[in-house]
Amino acid sequence: MSEKPKLAVYWGASCGGCEIAVVNLHEKILDVDAALDFMFCPCLLDTKKKDIEALPDRAIAVTLFNGALRTEENVEMAHLLRSKSQILVAFGSCAKGGCIPALANFTTKEDLLRSVYVDNPSVDNPASIIPSGTTTFPEGNMSLTPLLERVKHLAQEVEVDYYIPGCPPESHQIWNVITAILSGDLPPKGSTVGCGTLTVCDDCSRTKEEKRITAFRRNYEFYPDPEACLLEQGLLCMGIATRNGCGAPCTKANMPCTGCYGAPEGISDQGAKMVAALGSVMDIGDTAGLSEDEIAGRVDAFLKTIPDYAGLFYKYTLASSILGGRVGRN
Amino acid sequence: MKIGIYFCNCGSNIAEKISSAAVAAAASSFPDSPYVKIVDFICSEEGKLQFEESLKSEQPDRVVVAACSPRDHEATFRRCLTNVGMNPYLIQMVNIREQIAWVTEDPAVATEKTIAAIRGAVCRVRLQQPLEKKQLEVCPDALVIGAGPAGMKAALSLAEAGRAVVLVERTPFIGGLPVRFEDLFPAMECAPCMLEPLMGDLLHGDHVGKIELMTMAELIEVTGFYGNFIAKIRRKPRHVALHECIGCGECVEACPATTRNEFNSNASERKAIDFAFTGVLPNAPFLMEEICIRSKGVECRACKDACPMGEDVVTLDEVETTVERRIGSIILATGAGLYDASRVVGMGMGTLPDVYDALQFERMLSSTGPTGGEIVTSDGTAPSSVAIIHCVGSLDEDHKPYCSGICCQYAFKFNHLITAKLPEVSITHYHRDLVVPGKEAHALLQHAAGNKNSSLKRYGSIKDLAVTHGSNGRLQVSATGDTSTADMVILCPAVIPAEGADRLSSLLDVSCDSFGFFQELHGRLDAAQSTLKGVYLAGACQEPMDIRSAMLEGMASVGHTLAGLQPGRMIEIEPATAEVDETRCAGCRLCVSVCPYHAITFDSERNASHINAVLCRGCGTCVTACPSGAIAGHHFTNEQIMAEIEGVLK
Repeated sequence: MSEKPKLAVYWGASCGGCEIAVVNLHEKILDVDAALDFMFCPCLLDTKKKDIEALPDRAIAVTLFNGALRTEENVEMAHLLRSKSQILVAFGSCAKGGCIPALANFTTKEDLLRSVYVDNPSVDNPASIIPSGTTTFPEGNMSLTPLLERVKHLAQEVEVDYYIPGCPPESHQIWNVITAILSGDLPPKGSTVGCGTLTVCDDCSRTKEEKRITAFRRNYEFYPDPEACLLEQGLLCMGIATRNGCGAPCTKANMPCTGCYGAPEGISDQGAKMVAALGSVMDIGDTAGLSEDEIAGRVDAFLKTIPDYAGLFYKYTLASSILGGRVGRN
Repeated sequence: MKIGIYFCNCGSNIAEKISSAAVAAAASSFPDSPYVKIVDFICSEEGKLQFEESLKSEQPDRVVVAACSPRDHEATFRRCLTNVGMNPYLIQMVNIREQIAWVTEDPAVATEKTIAAIRGAVCRVRLQQPLEKKQLEVCPDALVIGAGPAGMKAALSLAEAGRAVVLVERTPFIGGLPVRFEDLFPAMECAPCMLEPLMGDLLHGDHVGKIELMTMAELIEVTGFYGNFIAKIRRKPRHVALHECIGCGECVEACPATTRNEFNSNASERKAIDFAFTGVLPNAPFLMEEICIRSKGVECRACKDACPMGEDVVTLDEVETTVERRIGSIILATGAGLYDASRVVGMGMGTLPDVYDALQFERMLSSTGPTGGEIVTSDGTAPSSVAIIHCVGSLDEDHKPYCSGICCQYAFKFNHLITAKLPEVSITHYHRDLVVPGKEAHALLQHAAGNKNSSLKRYGSIKDLAVTHGSNGRLQVSATGDTSTADMVILCPAVIPAEGADRLSSLLDVSCDSFGFFQELHGRLDAAQSTLKGVYLAGACQEPMDIRSAMLEGMASVGHTLAGLQPGRMIEIEPATAEVDETRCAGCRLCVSVCPYHAITFDSERNASHINAVLCRGCGTCVTACPSGAIAGHHFTNEQIMAEIEGVLK
C-alpha cells in the first residue's frame, strides 16, 4: 500500500459539500483507492494533524484543499499541507476565490463576532463574552482559533499549483482531474483545471437570441420558459460571465446559474464583468424627452429589483475580486 | 524595445509648470529606459521637422509624445510617424497640457503627475501593435425618404447631378400632403398643377433612370456610416405593376369589395383595388390585401381578369419583399401631420357633425376629393356660415407650445376659396396671434379682412372657446362674451411630425427634439443636417414649414450630399476596431444587441459572433459587454489599458 501516491482532502472554512462531491464519484472512488493512498480527510478518515506533521516534506502526492481561510488554524493547515504536498490544489470555489465565507469581508471581524455572540436574539450572553483565542470561564480556559481580519482564498497564503472551480466541483470533472494527475498529463502550474475554457452558455442548451432585458425577475415570480435563455427572460443568470465545464445542470433544471465556477479564463473580476454585461443590455425603455434626473430615476428603479448586489455578483469570488469587500487587505 | 519620449514645452504653457529635466531623470527608471527629447513647439513646422529627424536617427520601436490633447494633434504626430516609415499606431500621446499643466497649481505636483502619466503611456505603448488603415470608396448615391415636395425636389436635383437616388415613399403615391389640396397659399395656385411638372419629371423625365422610386415602402434597417450606408427597405406588395399599368381603372370597376378611403380623410369609399384618389401619380391603383375578399378565403380574380393590359399587371399573390441598397447619404423628408384635434377639449372634433380639421376640409375643397370640391354640410346642403378656429393645439402649453407657422395663411386661403365658391357665406375666424410673415402672405389676410362677410375675433385661450350643438341642428361657437351659430366649423390643429418619425429616429439614431421633429445639427448654422453625419433633413419633418421652405430645404440637403460625397473620394476605415476570438466566444449573443452600429452578426453554424470591420467604429461597447472576454478592441486591448493603469499607479 505504502508505495501508492498519497492523496489528502482537507477542508478549511467550508461546508463539506466538496467532500460530498468527492464521494459522489460513486464506485469510481474504488478506482481512486486502487491508484492512490487516500490517507487524510478529516471528514471521512481518522488521520490526525500530528500524523501529517510526522510525514517528510512532499510526502503527499496531491492535496485537494477545499474551503476558504477564515481562521489562524486554516492558515496553519494550509502551510502544513503545502510543505507536505507535491501538488496542492485549491479545490472548489472557497479555496479558489473565497466563495460564501468571503462574503464576511463586508463586515469586520469584531462586528461579525458581536453579531454571533452578543446581538444574536437567540443568544443569552449577559457578560458579552466573545470567545476568540483563549477565553477564561469559571470552569476553566477555553481556546478557540482566532479569526483572521479578512477571509482569504488559498493562494493568498500559500503557493497553489492548480485550481478546480465549482461549488462544489462537478464529480465528473474531479474524475477528469484525478485521471490527468495519474497520467501525469497536466497543464502548466497555476492553471485552472477540471473545467472548460468558455462560459456556461456553451454548456447550456437553451436558445439564445439577442439580449435586451426590460425587467429583472426572480424565480418565485414565474415559471420560466424551459427552452429560452433565462437571462433573456429577466432572471439574473450568471452563466454568461461564468466559466463552463459544469454541464449547466442548474439551467437544465430551470434555475439560473449562480456563477459557482467563477470568472471565465482571462477575466479578472467575475462580478465586475457581469455588471458590465448587464449594464449593456438593461432596457430602460424610450428615454426621448426625459430629463437626466428622470433617466437616472428609471435606472435606479430598475436596479432596485436586484436585492443583493454582493451576494449575486460576488457570491463565489469576493476574496479574489478587485473590489475585495469592505475589510482591508493586510 | 527602444522607446522615445518627446516632451513638448508648448512655449511656456507646459514648461512653466512641469520640469522637463525631472521628467527626463525619472524616465531612466521606466521600462526599457526610454530616451527623452525636449522640444519647444513640437506641432510647429520646425518642431515636426525636428521630431521626424529625431525619429529617423533614433529609430525607436515605440513613441510617446507628451504634449497637448490628442484631439489637437494626435493625427499630426501620427502623420509624422508615417512620413518616416513608422506605423502610425505605435505612438501614444499624453495630455500634459490641458490635463496637468493648466489645471495644477503646484509645479512640484504637476511634475509628479506628469511622470506618472508618462510612465503609464510608456507601459501602454510597449504593447501597442502596428495597425493598417483600410480604404473604401464613398458611395455618392443617396436615399431620400418621403416623396413630398422636399423629397421630390431633392431626388430630382440629385438625379440631375448624375447621382443615383432611391426614393422611398410610404404611401402609394408621390406629392405628399399638398398634392391632395386644391389651391395653395399665398398665390392660390392649383396644387396638383403646380407640382405636376416636378412629379412628371420624377416619373418620366430625362433623369428617370437615376431615380428608383419605391412606393408603399419603408426603411427598416440602416447600417454603416456616412459615405457607406446599407439600407434595408421593406416593400409592401402593391399587386399592380407600376410600369405596365396604364391607369384605365377597369380593375376598380370589377372589384366587389369596398372600404373607407383614408386618403380622402375617410370621407368617401373606395374599392379594395383602387386609386388613392383621382389624378394620383403614379397613375396606378393599389390593392388593399386586408379589404380584398381573397383575405376572407373567397376565390376572386375579378381585377386581374378585367385588366386589358394582360395577365402580368395585377399580381394577386405578390408578397412583401425586403431590398438592400448601398448609399452614401440619407435625406429625411418625411413631412408633417396634424395634431389630433379631438384632444383639444371643447372643439367637437369627432363628436359633432360638420366639425372638420384642416386636412379634411382641404379634401372637401379639392376637385379630386370626396365631394368633388363642393362645400357641403353633413345634410348635403351648402353652409350659410362657417367658423374657422386657429391655433387648435398650437401656442398652447397643454398641447404644443410652438406656433405652427402655416395655419393662419391656409385659414385665410380657406376664406378665399369658400367665398369664391359660396359668396354669401359668412365666415368668422377665431384666432389668437396672427402670423403672416414674408412679402406675399399679407394679401390673403387683407382679402379676408376686406371681405364684408368675414369677421376676425380674437380669443385669449382655447379654453374660452366651445363648439356645441346649437339650435336647428346647427353648431354654436361660444367665445368670451360672444356666441354665434355656424353650419360648419374648421379647426386648424397644430402641425406635428408625420407618424413614424420616432421610429426612423431610433432606427437611424438621429435625435428628435422634445416635439418629435428631427433635430438639426445646429438650428441656424446647420439646419439641414441632422445630428448624425450623412443624414440630412428636408421639409416639415424638422419643423412646421410651407412648401417654399420645404423645397429650399430639399435643395440644401442636396448641396450637402453633392459637396461631401464626390465620386471616387476614398474614406479611411479606422483599424482600431473590435474583433471576436471565436475560440473564446460561447455564443451568448449579448454583443449583438449592444452594438450601436449593427456591426455584429451571429454565425449560428460556428456558434460565435462576428464583427464587420467596415461597420465597426471601435467604440468598445461590445468589448466591455462581452462577459467571456472573447472580444478585443484593437488599440484598446485590456492588456494595454491595464498596463497603462498599472504604470500610472506604480
